[in-house]
Amino acid sequence: MADAIHSMAVEEGLAMKVIVAKDKLVACTNDVMRAVSSKTTISILTGIKITATSGGLTLTGSDSDITIQAFIPTEENGIENIQIIKPGSIVLQARYFADIVKKLPDDTVTIEVDSRLMTRIQSGHSEFNLNGMDADEYPRLPVLREENTLSIRKDLLKQIIRQTVYAVSTSENRPILTGANWVFENKTLKCVATDSHRLARRTVTMDVEENHTITNLVIPGKSLNELGKILDDRDQDVVEMIATDNQVLFKTDHIQFYSRLLEGKYPETEGLIPNDVKTEVVLKTKDLLQAIDRASLLARDERNNLVKLKTVDQSSLEILSQSPEVGRVYENVPANKISGEELRISFSAKYMMDALNRIDSEELIIQFTGAMKPFILKPVDDPDLLMLILPVRTN
Amino acid sequence: MAESKPARIIFHIDMNSFYASVEMRHHPEWRGKPLAIAGRPEERRGIIVTASYEARKKGVKATMPVWQAKRLCPELIVQTPNFDLYKKASQQLFQLLRTYTPYVEKVSIDEGYMDVTTIKAGMHPVRLAQTIQTRVKTELELPSSIGIAPNKFLAKMASDMKKPMGITILRKRDLATKLWPLAIQEMHGVGKKTAEKLKALKIYTIGDLAHFDKKRLESMLGVYGGKLHERANGIDDRPVDPEAEAVHKSISQSTTLPEDIASVNEAKDVFLTLSQRLSKKLKDHNVCAYQIAITIRYHDWQTVNRSKTMKSAVYLSQDIFEMAMFLFNENWDGRPVRLLGISANALEDAAFRTKQLDLFTYAEDAKDEPLLETIQQLEEKFGTSVVQKGMRGFASQKEHKGRSSNDKSTF
Repeated sequence: MADAIHSMAVEEGLAMKVIVAKDKLVACTNDVMRAVSSKTTISILTGIKITATSGGLTLTGSDSDITIQAFIPTEENGIENIQIIKPGSIVLQARYFADIVKKLPDDTVTIEVDSRLMTRIQSGHSEFNLNGMDADEYPRLPVLREENTLSIRKDLLKQIIRQTVYAVSTSENRPILTGANWVFENKTLKCVATDSHRLARRTVTMDVEENHTITNLVIPGKSLNELGKILDDRDQDVVEMIATDNQVLFKTDHIQFYSRLLEGKYPETEGLIPNDVKTEVVLKTKDLLQAIDRASLLARDERNNLVKLKTVDQSSLEILSQSPEVGRVYENVPANKISGEELRISFSAKYMMDALNRIDSEELIIQFTGAMKPFILKPVDDPDLLMLILPVRTN
Repeated sequence: MAESKPARIIFHIDMNSFYASVEMRHHPEWRGKPLAIAGRPEERRGIIVTASYEARKKGVKATMPVWQAKRLCPELIVQTPNFDLYKKASQQLFQLLRTYTPYVEKVSIDEGYMDVTTIKAGMHPVRLAQTIQTRVKTELELPSSIGIAPNKFLAKMASDMKKPMGITILRKRDLATKLWPLAIQEMHGVGKKTAEKLKALKIYTIGDLAHFDKKRLESMLGVYGGKLHERANGIDDRPVDPEAEAVHKSISQSTTLPEDIASVNEAKDVFLTLSQRLSKKLKDHNVCAYQIAITIRYHDWQTVNRSKTMKSAVYLSQDIFEMAMFLFNENWDGRPVRLLGISANALEDAAFRTKQLDLFTYAEDAKDEPLLETIQQLEEKFGTSVVQKGMRGFASQKEHKGRSSNDKSTF
């Protein structure tokens, strides 16, 4: 009897029904899963929202800081991805849905929702019935006006993220430093990140209209890292960026990536970057990276992750590291040129490697301004990138 | 009570100019030459940390600036400290001492106590001390002095009496001749402040202290006064504790509140006091902490401990306070609090302290460099009398300027 009522309800109360290509569904689910957090306190956000419209299928995932929306168009390059039988929407438990979709046997998946939110996922001979959640309870996305749009090349955006976001703070001591500061000024975009022990600054020339309203944003480092991972080669080359006071949206044809912005004023850092160079070293990026990498073999734990650098003459450096329990390592690194005062300085091997790993240029300039002052790393052929590291005071 | 127990035999081993000795072991060519260990010797403004006996003979002393030492002893070899090397040598030393007895207490990098009462072999304590001293000298190439006494205090005093390579026995019957004539500030455990207080009581020698009324001393200086009185009389029943070093892995301060508190401001006051006390303790033990933890005990005795590890070690009360307040704000749930505590963990010898400089504050640290440089330049022009802190130095400099008109050409 109960079964009869159940099947009747399914027949009569069809709330949504689509047939979708499995590979597209899997790819989009993976994208939006990046935003879903198992730690969320808002129960609806443990789900993925699925919305079918005549144009296609939209998936949404969010942890309320980051929201990712992925879109599968009904038809793409003359190939039909989806058949929309009944438009509608549903929220399904993200963890189960993602795992199920991945393992379905057939090339197509049918998703069918009844009026009681019971969702049937069917593919080949396999059928899952999941309890859905009401899509009306899912938070609405902010509406961002299209007029404040900027375009940025995708490869450039990925590079900016890779070369700056590593330096954001992971500690909540100063929350504003967990974000990267993007400043639009004089047709350039300047991106700065610092955890107060090191800093990265990347500038890019941009076609920004004079009356543009976006001037200064602080984007959470975590958001930018996720954005960097989600931007792949599937899409067109340009990303549209739209910002308001508290939200930023990055948009490609099939992905919309929303992030909350950090509130508060980002500290002024330009004045803290020294320019009174006392010692300048020009050398091969790889030579230094490998030497530091070897030196840090003995200095693994964070407390003793120290290397000492010393200028020897006009063409070589000494790198030294020691660990009381393990032993010591000493290495001579050739340099193309060393000018200025003699220098001895200690710094974190990790910070140095983080920076060197992100400098693509074959040659590198290091400018030291004193043993207790920041030093600057710059690629020889790229004036738009600057990295800075604060040394460690040892006595 | 101490008297009823069988007499103990305690050694205090004190390494002679340890850093310099370790350096000489690594640079045999320096043996017999005057050597000093100093911060940044190539920059002339370094301060001498320790000097070899050869250098001491020429008047070179710790805390002297390098340039001054060089003036006294032009052939002085100056070396930057290599703490990893000293740490290693220290480990070797204590390893060697532990081959004789497990009752070895490390006091610092270069000194320790041994309780040799139960060493069987039937060897005379002096012979044993000689054997140890010789082995340390030949196997580790390090000179030391050993004090032999029935307790830690007397052993410590004894090891100081003959340096380098001395062995001194201090028995209770030697007190009147060997210990009591010493000036009160020579007594181990009497710092500058205590010495001043004792001198105000007309106590100038250890003998004066030994004969002073114990009750009166206790009323003036508290429990510590009584302890000092006992020690001056050769009584000290502290055991040689091999675990003592481990105790220093954490230092904490806590207080049960007279009334439950329920506001951040009240907590602030408590943490401020605790931070100051903790900072003082850290300084007393010459250590700094890489981790700060707080304890919050609620009125219902539910107790919460939370900690934070830092990249740079802290020891200043302000830094400890900030860390404690950060932890409190993050973890307090608003209920009434009965007890608050702060503890400093992951302790490190202050000498090995490193500080990861901060972009927003590095200017403070960088300031130390040119300031020292300026003082040095002044010194070179006007001589050492100018090197005085604060107004006194300033005043004498002005005076100097006014009087010696001949020196005008140097400005």
